[in-house]
Amino acid sequence: MSTHGFSLAALPIARVPGVAIVLVVLCAGFGLTSPGFATPANISNILTQSTILLLLALPMTLIIMTEGLDLSIGAVLTFASIVLAVTVIATGSPTLGFLAALAVGLCFGLGNGVLIAVFDIPPFITTLGTLGIAQGLSLLVTDGQSIVGIPRSIEQIYSGTAAGIPFPIIIAALAYFITHALLYHTRFGTYVFALGGNREALRVAGISVRGMLIRVYVFGGLMAGFAALLMTARLNSAHPTAGIGMEFDAIAAVAVGGTSFERGNGWLLGTLLGVIAVGVLRNGLNLLAVPSSVQVACIGALVIIALFIDGMRAER
Amino acid sequence: MAVVPLFELRGISKEFPGVKALDDVSFEIRAGEVHMLVGENGAGKSTLMKILCGAYRADRGSFFNNGEPVTIHDSAAARKFGIAVIFQDFTLVPYLDIAKNIFLGREFPGRLPGFIDRHRIHAEAKRVLDMIGFDIDPRMSVHALGVAQQQMVEIAKALSQDARILVMDEPTAALSDRETELLFAMIARLKKNGVAIIYISHRLSEVFVLGDRITVLRDGRKIASLLPGETTPDQLVTLMVGRPVDTTYTRPSRPTPGEVALEVKNLSGPSGFSDVNLTVRAGEIVGLSGLVGSGRTEVARAIFGADRVTSGEIRLFGERIGGSVEDSTRRGMALIPENRKTQGLALARSVGDNIVLAGLRKLFPSGVFVPRRAMKAARAIIQKLRIATPTPRRPVATLSGGNQQKVVIGKWLNADARFFIFDEPTRGIDVGAKSEIFRLLDGLVHNGAAILMISSEQIEIVHICDRAYVMRSGRIAGELSHHELTEANIVRLGIHQ
Repeated sequence: MSTHGFSLAALPIARVPGVAIVLVVLCAGFGLTSPGFATPANISNILTQSTILLLLALPMTLIIMTEGLDLSIGAVLTFASIVLAVTVIATGSPTLGFLAALAVGLCFGLGNGVLIAVFDIPPFITTLGTLGIAQGLSLLVTDGQSIVGIPRSIEQIYSGTAAGIPFPIIIAALAYFITHALLYHTRFGTYVFALGGNREALRVAGISVRGMLIRVYVFGGLMAGFAALLMTARLNSAHPTAGIGMEFDAIAAVAVGGTSFERGNGWLLGTLLGVIAVGVLRNGLNLLAVPSSVQVACIGALVIIALFIDGMRAER
Repeated sequence: MAVVPLFELRGISKEFPGVKALDDVSFEIRAGEVHMLVGENGAGKSTLMKILCGAYRADRGSFFNNGEPVTIHDSAAARKFGIAVIFQDFTLVPYLDIAKNIFLGREFPGRLPGFIDRHRIHAEAKRVLDMIGFDIDPRMSVHALGVAQQQMVEIAKALSQDARILVMDEPTAALSDRETELLFAMIARLKKNGVAIIYISHRLSEVFVLGDRITVLRDGRKIASLLPGETTPDQLVTLMVGRPVDTTYTRPSRPTPGEVALEVKNLSGPSGFSDVNLTVRAGEIVGLSGLVGSGRTEVARAIFGADRVTSGEIRLFGERIGGSVEDSTRRGMALIPENRKTQGLALARSVGDNIVLAGLRKLFPSGVFVPRRAMKAARAIIQKLRIATPTPRRPVATLSGGNQQKVVIGKWLNADARFFIFDEPTRGIDVGAKSEIFRLLDGLVHNGAAILMISSEQIEIVHICDRAYVMRSGRIAGELSHHELTEANIVRLGIHQ
């Protein structure tokens, strides 16, 4: 560390996280190039469309903080959405459908957690396996077709508003505050930091590392169940490929937000900004009529750029 | 009337398959004393402490708490008696704040189930930190702290669990002189509060500065328990190794220096050193001394090409070198880093694999690995350096510190290195193995190699080196020729004026 001379760290900008810089640059860029971007309707649109991703990225942040990963989260969302649709159509009860989706999430989360924590299978392999299982089950149940004919009451969960605020945004905000409280104000959250930072410290303190790890993945599964509700409501149907690639967006948003894959270094607000950055990027590129294949490449580039900025600041 | 000890272990024996780790060892600790526990690596210090804190169970022996017979069969029982260990590998979580670290696993409950009372955790943490005189905001994240500060947090954590007996295992190993002073001041404060401290150390100077009593272990037996006034460092070393050994190896002969091996002119770099000039000749061991943080390691890394330089030049055997590690090693330079486990060795691999690592290009010019040739080269080095391993196939992690260090040196010998930089070559190596490492260094220069040696132990520099440079705040504060080379002169040049 140099004590004299010019240093980038002395500039106030050096303390702004990479994700904030990226977000400002993206908004400014799209605001100048496409006239439809900076309108209240479009901004509300961006936020609403980001809600499903946020529901996945929040637990993903915790999972990555434990030096883990959940590749199955998008496929679990898809399968939960299908189970929800099937249940609603069969019973006519949206509540039962929602509970069924949560149950699917719970089962997959529990399965992931037990395999990783008890049987010591690496998270990457475990969740790659459960991704395949969830995806396969989705295709099996639907025979590759969309499930339609879902009652309108479900659809209103996505399109409805309260005091002018779209329901999905209220749900996402609630999810954010709950996760925030969980991470920073509960024993569980404290131990999430320790799971990635120093598991030995947890063991010495007499806390069950396995139990905590399982809970983290169960949280991921449950949030995928919640997200399935929003997804089904948004599409007004369930489709066996609806959630494909969502895990990519979620992991990208967490990484853009500055959560590190090592030592339990996570930042929940960063994830929120990361999710919005991904949403802004997708929306802006849509307005510019960029094909979705190129959009995926752009999200990849976004991750690298945000981390590059963070890396430059850390290096000094 | 005899003082009843705070805690006592009597007749402790412990056997591991094939090794008698402890044999009838008795040990007592009194309130408010610093009890130094010394002995070579493998003498049984760690085993004894693990039995005390409940990590191991003794095969035989009894425990007494304030004179009352008790049992310790797990770590919870040890905690109940107020026994806490400050581990060498910290039990801290980097991205939690100090307060949450102190109370990890013992969070004060909040109003809702599962929630924690952050205000109370911070307030209580502040109280404990004040107790040890550590003035820091408990809301600071632990990852931003230095090693010494992390150690303080670790101590606060132990005290918050009402520890009456603290076990410290080489607490100063990673501390600078100033940080060491702070630690010692804190130990004095703890003593005053009646806390007993068991202190394991390899540094004899500490033993005499801090110790109220000294217990020496050797080969699993208690050799002596004495007061510092009753003994001398030399006697203590004799007790530890069981044979009279000069604590500090003295070189038998010094060959006359030959051609200039390394020449550094006006070297400055962004990692915090400037205008460094130094020369090392073939057949010379040149010391690079100075306080921790004075820029020694940074200069070494820059010479080796591992770090960027902004100006100046480096010449190796007369030729200017380009500032990349590849270039430096190709021209015969080797860096034996301070941290062998993370920087010097591939710990999971065998002794043989490690030895051939740096010389792969020379051994296998075609790029195809020939196992037989590798084994042959490895065996030659093992024999030459007398590395204690039955076969080159043995995992390097199973070797002792001294032998691991030899593997690192052997790696570079195999690569035909002629200029060596040693960064703290004897860190974590016991007294007996130290002199062997020094003999090896001497052997290297006798065969025409040149050595630049960094060490925090001034006495090592004085005894081993032909000359020394002393650094202060990133600059060379002075050069000491062989007859000027004394501890006093090093300290005089090294400290801030």
